[in-house]
Amino acid sequence: MKILTPTSAAFGIVMAVGMTVSAPASAAECIAPSNPGGGWDFTCRTIGRILSELDLVEGNVQVTNMPGGVGAVTYAMVVNERPDDPELIVATSTVGITQIAQGRYPAPVDAVRYLAMLGADVGVIAVDDDSPIESLDQLTEIMANEPGSIVTAGSSGAGGWDHIRLLMVAREGGLDDLNAMRWVQFDGGTDAVTQMMGGQIDVVSTDMGEIAGFVESGDIRILAALSDEPIPAFPDIPTAKSQGIDVTGYNWRGLYTGGEVSDEEYDEWVSDLETLYNSEEWQTAAVESGLIPIWRGGEEFSDFVVSEAAVMEEISRDIGVIE
Amino acid sequence: MESFLFLADGFAVALTPLNIALLLLGCFTGTLIGALPGLGPVNGVAILIPLTFAFGFDATSSLILLSAVYFGCMYGGRISSILLNIPGDEPAVMTTLDGYPMAKQGKAADALAISGVASFFGATVAVVGLTLFAPLLAGLAIYFGPADYFALYILAFVTIGGIAGVDPRKTLLSALIGLMIATAGLDPISGIPRFTFDNYHLYDGVDAIVALVGLFAISEILMLLEKAAKDRAAPIGLDSWLPSVRAIWSTRWAVVRGSIVGFIAGVLPGAGASLGSVMSYSMEKQASDKNGTFGKGDPRGVAAPEAGNNAASGGALIPMLSLGVPGSGTTAVMLAMLISLNVQPGPLLFERQPDLVWGLVASLYLGNVALLILNLPMIGLFSRLMMVPTWALMPIVAAVSFVGVFSISNSIFDLELMIMFGVLGYLLRKLDISLVPLVLGLLLGGDMERNLRRALSISDGEWGVLLESPISLTLYALTAVFLGLSVWLARRDRKRRQARLTEG
Amino acid sequence: MSVRLAGVAIFMIAALFTWYGRGYTASFGDVLGPGVFPVIVGIPAMILSASLVVFPSGQVEWPERPYLVRQLAALAILAGYAWLLGPLGFPLATFGLIVGIGIVLGGAPLKAVILGALFAPALWALFDQVLGLPLAVLGDWFG
Repeated sequence: MKILTPTSAAFGIVMAVGMTVSAPASAAECIAPSNPGGGWDFTCRTIGRILSELDLVEGNVQVTNMPGGVGAVTYAMVVNERPDDPELIVATSTVGITQIAQGRYPAPVDAVRYLAMLGADVGVIAVDDDSPIESLDQLTEIMANEPGSIVTAGSSGAGGWDHIRLLMVAREGGLDDLNAMRWVQFDGGTDAVTQMMGGQIDVVSTDMGEIAGFVESGDIRILAALSDEPIPAFPDIPTAKSQGIDVTGYNWRGLYTGGEVSDEEYDEWVSDLETLYNSEEWQTAAVESGLIPIWRGGEEFSDFVVSEAAVMEEISRDIGVIE
Repeated sequence: MESFLFLADGFAVALTPLNIALLLLGCFTGTLIGALPGLGPVNGVAILIPLTFAFGFDATSSLILLSAVYFGCMYGGRISSILLNIPGDEPAVMTTLDGYPMAKQGKAADALAISGVASFFGATVAVVGLTLFAPLLAGLAIYFGPADYFALYILAFVTIGGIAGVDPRKTLLSALIGLMIATAGLDPISGIPRFTFDNYHLYDGVDAIVALVGLFAISEILMLLEKAAKDRAAPIGLDSWLPSVRAIWSTRWAVVRGSIVGFIAGVLPGAGASLGSVMSYSMEKQASDKNGTFGKGDPRGVAAPEAGNNAASGGALIPMLSLGVPGSGTTAVMLAMLISLNVQPGPLLFERQPDLVWGLVASLYLGNVALLILNLPMIGLFSRLMMVPTWALMPIVAAVSFVGVFSISNSIFDLELMIMFGVLGYLLRKLDISLVPLVLGLLLGGDMERNLRRALSISDGEWGVLLESPISLTLYALTAVFLGLSVWLARRDRKRRQARLTEG
Repeated sequence: MSVRLAGVAIFMIAALFTWYGRGYTASFGDVLGPGVFPVIVGIPAMILSASLVVFPSGQVEWPERPYLVRQLAALAILAGYAWLLGPLGFPLATFGLIVGIGIVLGGAPLKAVILGALFAPALWALFDQVLGLPLAVLGDWFG
């Protein structure tokens, strides 16, 4: 079986780039930078399934899991090994951009090309149903004047997206010392909400999708949705904007590809993804998994990602996540 | 009693010919996947979710297929625990303690049968408990705050001290090593990388499966290589292919106790099946290890954690369904599975989709029934694995472990880490340091630290918060009782042994 | 002796762990910070391992030299598998692994080769084809 010679080995190493994993029937590959079962895995598997159902790719889309460093391992691989591979798309979301903004990826935000955002979960600010806090106004006033008197929580760590979104609201409402407010991390939005129902914490900032059941059952009260328009399923919940706090906080799901992919191939992906976005299959799949279908594609999306990263970086600096 | 009517409906829905076929197919596939070291229920279910979409089954049938796979995987994990001393998934770790010694004594068939029957009984207790108390327990579970969880983990670690090994110092040290490893990775609270040596692969921490397979499978190969092929107690014999009914019956009280302890541990959101099997094992050891047979192939040491683990995974459905809080990796997958079937767990699920909830409960139960029916006759076949010579068996085990881990992560680093864990496992085993507490430290350490820090964040740095709630105080009291009991039992045993020595 | 040495090694690791752990600080976030828990874990680990140095328990018999060589060979094969999986592709590397470990464990070479030739492709088929977890058939060297 030892049919290798040093020459063929050397040749092989030169050829190695971009050939690591390839199944015969696949024309495209989607990398989920997480284990099977996570959010990025869902993005890849759903988009992959619909892409091949709509015949936008030949055969099946191969889904590869490459967990590590909240997406950093995949990011490094794409930047270093497959920057010009037009067959490759990678799932990302606000969580990944937060990591980039805080310098936790091995390359800057513009090292890859962002294709499109296909849907988003909306950030909300919630209190228990018998909390004395009745409105966003009341909450921002407490946050501005006695920030130490309340305990806030969400599904991310300090400096994570749930925390930053809340701080954006607090700052808009007049809080100057962003470090004065206590923040407790939980493993998920529902964990935080149940702890709030048990009386351990006062305010939760997290995504709507996961905790919608508690809103419908009346166990918790949503003070504000951090979106431009009210959430379709809950038209009565006021947005922060409508209450004079100009903050939005989406947790979007989207895709990027290598930084050296040609304009032509990039445009083709963007138009394929737009077809996918407009398909009934995606609209249903997105709603079923608690997302609101939102489209931003191509250069518009890239600009959006870059400016979002800049805002996150600024806040992270203010609270001392990065020096 | 309304719940029982719903449950009966659930069974009626589940028992169609297609669903029964799916049930058997799922159990069989699940058992195979679970028996492969490196692939556990988490991966098994995640891998098969796309399949249910491909065939376009309705929600009930998909649920039945996936629950069957889930329980099949859990049972499969026991097979490799018992026959190879390699736990296939996290909750199976405890089963190695007495299961493998039993197999070495030629009682593999008994151990497999006990595991099957105990699991079945644990699941029965869980289903009954679920039907009777679900809404009540869900209401109580929310009052369990971070400080209470911390107290619960303290209790767990104290009970670990009594689990295994001759020297309790070594057992505790092993648990501490596990806790040290658990701190590696991005700290989820502050986002700071700890002990990652600037390696992005370590940012997510050490994967429990990688550590498990390395510690157990690779160290096993190194242990085997210590002796020349001819000196090795080559293919371990098999006294009987048929399990003995008497052996199973002898474990009945261990099963009952294990199920109850496991169910309680399962109901607490965030505690999960691993904790359930740990607590049931150590409680059982405390209650009935009069002659020091635990850890040396005592059937009750297989029965208690198996019953406890299945009762816990059933109990874990309560917070998972009614609060949407997954207790462990395995319930997280069940949650993902439900969401992918367009079911959003939460406080309204029991009211809104009772057919689905009870359909799930019924199908989980049927999964256990199917396993019992399917696997008891196959025990003879599985135990024949014990007759395969080492030189043929272990290379396949090594290959399967590597592929299992690699196919999920696509990471060479994980393979390297696995080999390092293999060496570590070998050294620790040589030093008589049990590996089980290390794995438990690794599994529970992250949650223990986070809950301590959450409690102190909430209290703004006031350590008194740890002793404030009645729940915490109760748990610390239990811990003290447990410690006192251990010391008392140890002294009594020593006196008895001395008495026996003087007599002889 | 071995237990004492191991005690010293674990003590040093625990001490380094505690020292580095103490140094992790965050200027924001939770009250306790990322540095306290490592200290809570590290100090008892230091005490316990020190007690093993002073009062060791148990005897360790290390394998004799020829067996040690076999163990090292097995580790080399495992490491070789990890590094050659990419270049060789899955079935070939697995074939090498099964044959290598089989022979080290005392199997007859011919039998080990037959075992590898049967199981390497079978495992590939099981994972890639049946379970849908992609594994490369041929590695980079055949690109």
